[in-house]
Amino acid sequence: MRLNTASQAISFLRELETKSGLFYESLAQKHSGEESLFLGFVKENKKNILNIERTYFGVITDALEGCFAFDIDPSLYEIGGDISEGDYAAGVAAALEMETKILRFYVDAAEQSRCLMADVPRVMDRIAKARGERLKKLQAMSDTVKSGR
Amino acid sequence: MAILEEPIKGTPLVKNFIDGEWVEPKGQIVDVVNPATNQAIAKVGIATKEEIDAAVEAAKAAFPEWRRTPPLARSRILFRLKELLEENFEEVSRIQTQEHGKTIDESRGETRRGIENVEVACGIPTLQQGYYSEDIATGIDEWLIPTPLGVFGIIGPYNFPFMIPLWSAPYAVATGNTIVIKPSSEVPLSQMKLAELADEAGFPPGVWNVVNGGRTVVNGMLDHPDIAGITFVGSTPTGRDVIYRKCGETGKRVVAQCGAKNFMVIMPDCNVSRTVPALLTSFFGNTGQRCLAGANLMIVGDDDKFYKSFVDQVEAAAKNIKIGYGLDESVQMGPLRDNEKKQNVLRYIELGIKEGSKLRLDGRSPKIIGGYPDHCFLAPTIFEDVDPNSAVGIEEIFGPVMSIMRAKTLQEAIRICNSNPFGNGHAIFTADGKSAREFQYNIDSGNVGINIGITAPVAFFPFSGAKDSFFGVLHTQGQEAIRFFTESKVIIQRWF
Repeated sequence: MRLNTASQAISFLRELETKSGLFYESLAQKHSGEESLFLGFVKENKKNILNIERTYFGVITDALEGCFAFDIDPSLYEIGGDISEGDYAAGVAAALEMETKILRFYVDAAEQSRCLMADVPRVMDRIAKARGERLKKLQAMSDTVKSGR
Repeated sequence: MAILEEPIKGTPLVKNFIDGEWVEPKGQIVDVVNPATNQAIAKVGIATKEEIDAAVEAAKAAFPEWRRTPPLARSRILFRLKELLEENFEEVSRIQTQEHGKTIDESRGETRRGIENVEVACGIPTLQQGYYSEDIATGIDEWLIPTPLGVFGIIGPYNFPFMIPLWSAPYAVATGNTIVIKPSSEVPLSQMKLAELADEAGFPPGVWNVVNGGRTVVNGMLDHPDIAGITFVGSTPTGRDVIYRKCGETGKRVVAQCGAKNFMVIMPDCNVSRTVPALLTSFFGNTGQRCLAGANLMIVGDDDKFYKSFVDQVEAAAKNIKIGYGLDESVQMGPLRDNEKKQNVLRYIELGIKEGSKLRLDGRSPKIIGGYPDHCFLAPTIFEDVDPNSAVGIEEIFGPVMSIMRAKTLQEAIRICNSNPFGNGHAIFTADGKSAREFQYNIDSGNVGINIGITAPVAFFPFSGAKDSFFGVLHTQGQEAIRFFTESKVIIQRWF
């Protein structure tokens, strides 16, 4: 089912952030060398949920198009359940794949809601930017693993 | 999508809130029914004359001390109420969906706009300041003090069970008055929750009272000599012929916000991709049950190609609206409030067909997500070639029905809009500033939208209205509400 309402989009975001947070928690347990980094991601995910919800609840009005704000196919952004299997390299690769999808969701959702509730796309843009930084870190880790350093 | 958890469990009895106490109702008990499930979710008493009298007496008794409470102290209680509303935001919103049927996004929007009025009223220490002129004559000074009047009655409708009483209540109590709220007995649960939070916030007993019921309560307010004024939101016949008239007879202040038939005027230069979703919200949001809903879609110009393309897009989008229980997050339109209201809309659809309007989209057999009973549901209906002077073109339907008509020029469109007896919230969609200015300048409408389908003023602007949509002088919300709830006491002083 496509996501059309603001409520659906926010719930879907919450689900993505929560799943991703659980993934990093298990990754932190398995690879204690990067524990603080992965637990930092978990903390950021929780903050993202808080920021998105605070913004949405703060600006939603029945006078704008909350029920018609989005047209999103969620299957394009779904992330796997148990993706922490395998070695460190597999974990980082899974994280990269997951983060790419989540980043794309933020970018697409921000674009679709841009003319409706200005604060919501703004916070989505901000999170997408931070997500881009996270992707760079993960990419660097992946490169390090691949180069065998 | 799963259904969000319902906050109201079982079938609680809604009590009256009088003098800081929850009081068992004495009158007839009726069911409060969730229109999506058609199940009773609560019971409410229809208050007797003694109950409304008791509430007014409590409010009157609380007035002198509350009036003496410094505005800053009153403001702090309102701040606490705002905080409690934020903490209970989701529960308050879900209650609205459960008792009214609107979608969860709509309910959250309603909650936010209600809270905004509490926020604005928190500024009462400056909002209620008077003004002073030194030496209006040599050695004589003059100043004005906005003073509270006493007890106010607030009569709420069924379509916005939480928000609409908040267009008045925060300003009334902030200025030092006391209140008796009468919610619609069809949707009393939102105001019950609000009263719980107002009590928790610390309003002294008797300042904030709620009495549930129907005509007995309304008449009890109108006839009561200790009620200084009434704010009312509801139908034009009741607002004009009962509330406004009776308040005039008994010398009460009055705000009567009534019905509407709003025109959405479409210029061929409008941004179509942004206009269409705005129209969906305007015509079909809250299932068309709002006084700012679009009712007539007026397409300007003789460009048949534009007309066809635009109407095709509107129809396609309307057809795809997902209908069901508003606690399902995927739902975009909920049911009508009850079956009687649905039957009224159905009567108008049949009348439209008889009058010769072309039924372009028939919403009488809705596809309902989740298999809920179709007791109160309707899908969007679109009529084309509607005569502006026909019943469906001129009367308030209060349901998800769009009547499409055409005008050759903007001037003709404005003439047609202005010939309608209502004047609540007409809007124009255009990319041309000159057309927009001409529209806003000449249109006879209390609230005017330019590329906005629902012309709802934010809390620090008055909720206006004109012609048969409004009876009174001052409006609810913002500075006008402060003026409505206060008398201008003017003092002239000379010392010998």
